[in-house]
Amino acid sequence: MIADHLFFAGINLLLAWSVYVVLLSGNLSFAQGAFMALGCYCAGVLTVKLGWTLLPSVLLAGSFSALIATIVGYPTLRLKGIYLILVTLGLTVCVRVLLENFKFIGGVGGFGGMKGADLTWVLMAVLIFGTLLYFFSRGPMQLVCDAVREDELVAASLGINVVATKLATFAVGAFIAGVAGALYGHYMNFVRPENFDVLLSIYVVLYVVLGGVNNMWGPVVGALIMTLLPEYIRILAEWRPSVFGLSILLILLLRPQGILRFRMSTQSSKELLRHG
Amino acid sequence: MLVGQVLNGLVNGAMYSLVALGFTLIIGVLDKLNFTHPEIFMFGGFAGIISINYFPAPWGLVTSFVVGGILGLITEWIAFRRFKSPDSKITAALSSMALGLVFTDWVQKYWGTEPVSLPTLPSWMEQNVRIAEVEFPYLNFFILGVTCLLMITLHTLINKTRMGRQIRAVAESPMNASLLGIDVKKVSQVVFFISSGLAAEAGFLLSLRSASANSEIGLTFGLKALAIMAIGGLGDIRGAMLGGLLIGVMEALLFVFGWGRWVEMTVWVVVIITMVIKPSGLFSARLKTQEARA
Amino acid sequence: MVETSPKKLLVIQHLNKNFGGIHAIKDFNLDVNSGDLIGIIGPNGAGKTALLNTITGFYRANAGQVFFDEIEITNASIHDIALLGVGRTFQNIRLFKRMSVLENVMVARKQIFKRPVLQLFNRLDHEADLERAMDCLSMLNLSDKASKSAASLSYGDARRLEIARALTGEPKMLLLDEPAAGMNETETNELIEDIQLIRSKVSSIVLIEHDMNLIRSLSDRVVAMDFGLKICEGSANEVLTHPEVMSAYLGEDEYVIA
Repeated sequence: MIADHLFFAGINLLLAWSVYVVLLSGNLSFAQGAFMALGCYCAGVLTVKLGWTLLPSVLLAGSFSALIATIVGYPTLRLKGIYLILVTLGLTVCVRVLLENFKFIGGVGGFGGMKGADLTWVLMAVLIFGTLLYFFSRGPMQLVCDAVREDELVAASLGINVVATKLATFAVGAFIAGVAGALYGHYMNFVRPENFDVLLSIYVVLYVVLGGVNNMWGPVVGALIMTLLPEYIRILAEWRPSVFGLSILLILLLRPQGILRFRMSTQSSKELLRHG
Repeated sequence: MLVGQVLNGLVNGAMYSLVALGFTLIIGVLDKLNFTHPEIFMFGGFAGIISINYFPAPWGLVTSFVVGGILGLITEWIAFRRFKSPDSKITAALSSMALGLVFTDWVQKYWGTEPVSLPTLPSWMEQNVRIAEVEFPYLNFFILGVTCLLMITLHTLINKTRMGRQIRAVAESPMNASLLGIDVKKVSQVVFFISSGLAAEAGFLLSLRSASANSEIGLTFGLKALAIMAIGGLGDIRGAMLGGLLIGVMEALLFVFGWGRWVEMTVWVVVIITMVIKPSGLFSARLKTQEARA
Repeated sequence: MVETSPKKLLVIQHLNKNFGGIHAIKDFNLDVNSGDLIGIIGPNGAGKTALLNTITGFYRANAGQVFFDEIEITNASIHDIALLGVGRTFQNIRLFKRMSVLENVMVARKQIFKRPVLQLFNRLDHEADLERAMDCLSMLNLSDKASKSAASLSYGDARRLEIARALTGEPKMLLLDEPAAGMNETETNELIEDIQLIRSKVSSIVLIEHDMNLIRSLSDRVVAMDFGLKICEGSANEVLTHPEVMSAYLGEDEYVIA
C-alpha cells in the first residue's frame, strides 16, 4: 500500500519537475499530459509489441517525447503567456484524440500488457533527475535561464540564444514527462488515453504553483503534499479537488510564489557572502 | 442529411459563440483570462434543472442567466479582485482555474458525476418542425432564436447605452476611464455578470438539447470556447461570434463526411495553426476598435 | 606589431528605418574605427536610440547595411550580434532585478556558450569568469556591492551596473545609451573617469548623450542627429557650434552649449 502511494507520489513529482524545467525559461506549459501519454504509449509499444526490455524503452520514450516537443515547440514557443497556455492545452487534447483513434494501440479502449516498473524504478528516476537538477541550479545555465525568464531581449543582447534556451527546456521537460509516463504505464499495466487529459496537465502545473515556482524543491513539496496527504487524511481524499483548489487560491492570495519561494542563488554569490 | 447536420452545427456553433463571447468580453474589457468561465457554463445546465423543478420551463432561461451572473460576481471577487496589476495576470488566471476545480467538485458532490436528466419539458420543446419535407427539431430554432436575441441585446447594450459607453472606455484604458470618473470596479462587475450569464445561458441551452446536465462539459465544450476566442481574436466580439459558428459548422461537416472521430480535435488544430500564423486572431481588432468601426 | 591604417570596426551605410509613417532613421552613414569614442547627440526623437536598436538587432532595418568587424550584421539576430562582440546598455535601466549584482554581470560571460554542454553543470572556467566579473565591477566602483540584490541599488549604481554588465562580455564595441541620464554633476564626473578607464578594455565606444560636458570630455568625434538624419559630424567643438545643430536644440534649456 505504502509502496503504491510512494510510486504515485514519485510520478507526480517527476511530472511537477517537468513543468518546473519548462518554467525555468519562463514558459508555462499545460502540455505535460500529452508528453506523458506519448512516453507511456511509446514505451508500451516497444515492450509489448517489439519485445524490448524496460530500460531502453523508457529512455527512448523520453527521447520521443522530447523530439515531439522540439518539433512542436519551434513554431509555438515564440508565443507568450495566454497564447502558449492555449496551444499547450490544445496539444494535450490533440494527443489524446490521436491516441484514441489508433486501433494499433488500443484506441479508446486502452492499451495493456505493460509491466515491469515498480517503486525502485521511480526512486531511481527521481534520484537521477533530482541530482541533475541540483547541479544545474548551481551552475551558469541556471543564470542564463533566470535571465531569459526575466527579460528576454536583454538576455539576447548579452549573447544568449533565447529561442534555443526555451526549446531546450521544453524538450527536457518533455523528456522527464515521457519517462514518467513510461514508468506509469508499466506499473499500471493498462492505460487509456483519457488518463492523460487536460485535467492532468492542469493538476501538474498547480502542484508547482502550490509548492513554489522559484526553485527545484517547490515541485517536490507540491507534489508530495497533494499526493500523500489525501492518502492519510480521508476527508482530503474525498474532497481532493476542492481542497486542492482552495489551497491554490489561498497560496495565490497570500504567498503567490508558492510555499517555498526562495530563489536558489548561484554558487558565486554564496562564495562571496562567505568570504565577505 | 447535409442540411440537418449543418443546422446542428450552427446550433452548436451558437452555443460556442455565447461562451466565447463571455471569454472575449472579459479579456477585451478587463484584460483578464477567466478560467472559471467553462465551469460556470457547465453549471448553467444544473441551474436549469433546479429552475425547471420550481418554475415553468422557459423561466430557466432567466434563472440560468442570473445564476451564472451571480457566480461571475463571486468569481470576480475571489479570483480577480486582488490581482489587478499587469504582473498578476497569470496568477489571476491560475486562481480562476483553481476556483473552477472547486465549482466542479461541488457540483459533482451534489449531483454525482453522471449526467443528470432534466425534468420533463413542455411538449413543444420536443416537437419537430417540417420545412421542405425535412423534419427539424423545433428546439434547434429555439436555441438559435435565443442566441440571436442575446447577441442583439449585447450589441445594443454596448453601443447604445451609457453603461456600454463606460464599458468601451474601460476597454480602451482603465486608467483613463477612472480619471474620467467611471467606476471601474462597477464596470468590471457588470462585465463579469454579463459574461458569466451568457455562459450559463449557453449551458442551459445545451442541457435542453441533450435533455440532461453534464458536469464534465466544462473542460471539453467550455474550453473549446477559449480556443474559439483566440481564433477570432482576443477581445473581438465579432470574432467570437463568427469563430463559434465557423467551428460548429466545421465539426458538423466533419461528421457528414465520416470524419467524426476527429471532431474533438478540430478546434484545437485550428487554434494552434492560427496562433502560429496570426496570433492576433482572424479578426485582429480588439473590442474598442471594433466598436469604433461599427 | 605595425599599426596600419585604423580598422573600421563599425560601418553603417544608407541605413533606413521607419515605423509606418514615422521615419526614424534616414539614409544614415557612419564609420567607427577601432580605438574611437564617438558621441551621438540630438534632440529627443532624433533617432539616436532607434539607431542603437537597429545596429544591435532590436529593430529590423528597412534599407541599408551595417557591418561589424567586416561582417555584415544587418538584420542578424540580437544574440548573434552580441556574440560577435557588440555590447550595449539601455536608456531605461533594464537590470535583472531578481538577481544579485554579481549574478547580473556573471550572466554576461559568453564563455558559457563556447562549450554549452560542459557548462551545463560544470563550473569550468568559473574562476576566470568570477575574476573578469569582479574586474568589471571594480572598474565601475561596484565591487563592494557584489552580493547585494540588483533591485536595492541606488539610481547611480544601477546605471553603472548596466555598463559593467555590458562590459563583462568582453565586447569589442560598447554602445552606451544615455549613461549619465539623471546623474548629478559629481556622479557625471565620476562617470567620465570610469569611461576613460573602460576605453582601455574595449576597442570602440559609441556614446549617446545629452550631457555636453560628457560629450566634450570623451569624444574623439561627434555626430549630431535630427529627424533621423545625420546633420553634422566632426570634432566636439565643430559640431557643438554648428548653426544647424544649435537651431535643432533651440529653445531647449538643457542643451545650452557652454
